[in-house]
Amino acid sequence: PISISTMGCGNEADLEQEQQARVALRERYLRSLFAMVGHTIHFTMYERVNVSAFFDASDIDILNFQVSDLQTPLGVHREALLRCSDIISYTFEL
Amino acid sequence: MSEWQRKSPLEWQTYVNKEVKVTAAEKHEYKGWVLTIDPVSANVVLVKLVEDGKVCVSVILGHAVQKVEIVNEGDDEMKERLAHLFMPEESKAYGH
Amino acid sequence: TTRRSVQPPAERPGERRMAEMKKLYGVGAAKIQAMETAMQLAFDRNCDKKQPKYWPVIPLKL
Repeated sequence: PISISTMGCGNEADLEQEQQARVALRERYLRSLFAMVGHTIHFTMYERVNVSAFFDASDIDILNFQVSDLQTPLGVHREALLRCSDIISYTFEL
Repeated sequence: MSEWQRKSPLEWQTYVNKEVKVTAAEKHEYKGWVLTIDPVSANVVLVKLVEDGKVCVSVILGHAVQKVEIVNEGDDEMKERLAHLFMPEESKAYGH
Repeated sequence: TTRRSVQPPAERPGERRMAEMKKLYGVGAAKIQAMETAMQLAFDRNCDKKQPKYWPVIPLKL
């Protein structure tokens, strides 16, 4: 869900400013995703579920994370998909 | 959609490079410097500098964010450090 | 008078997406799209190759 709240009602300069802000914010986020590849990520999920896994990739809508060696309270999954809607936060160290 | 998810990029940008406390779902709390907020998911990327030049990155999913409070407005030095994080070409140029 | 074609205008999905990207990201659209394409490509390739299953099977948050 991309915000287009201020679009269409402002002038050109406002639109450009909003686009620049969106580019800067999105670029930093995408770079953080690339930086996560191959690292162990700790996920805090709903219902107090905590897991960790190697991050491989995300879809661009940030709905699913594709991970490997997922360590869950019930065992290890070699390959898995996590729904971003199940996740409260994720943490990693660089 | 929550109030946080409905904010505009310009509103999100006012949090960048500042230290914040984020209250999230199920009473989780996070503190750190805002690297960015993804305009697609409203995910908040927080950075904490730990020992040995290491950084700890915590990302709170936009849908789980309940409240974001600014606790420190930050300074140019922190802004610089955050700007070079995850930016390979710039950090190389920085070293010369 | 203008001649109207019976066919709807030929529009490729990629073009529509680029138009949307331009509206959202302006002059930065191509840069963002290149990064997004790289991430999505890795995601699609890995999902094809490794066939990962959702964990947990049932969503935690409905």
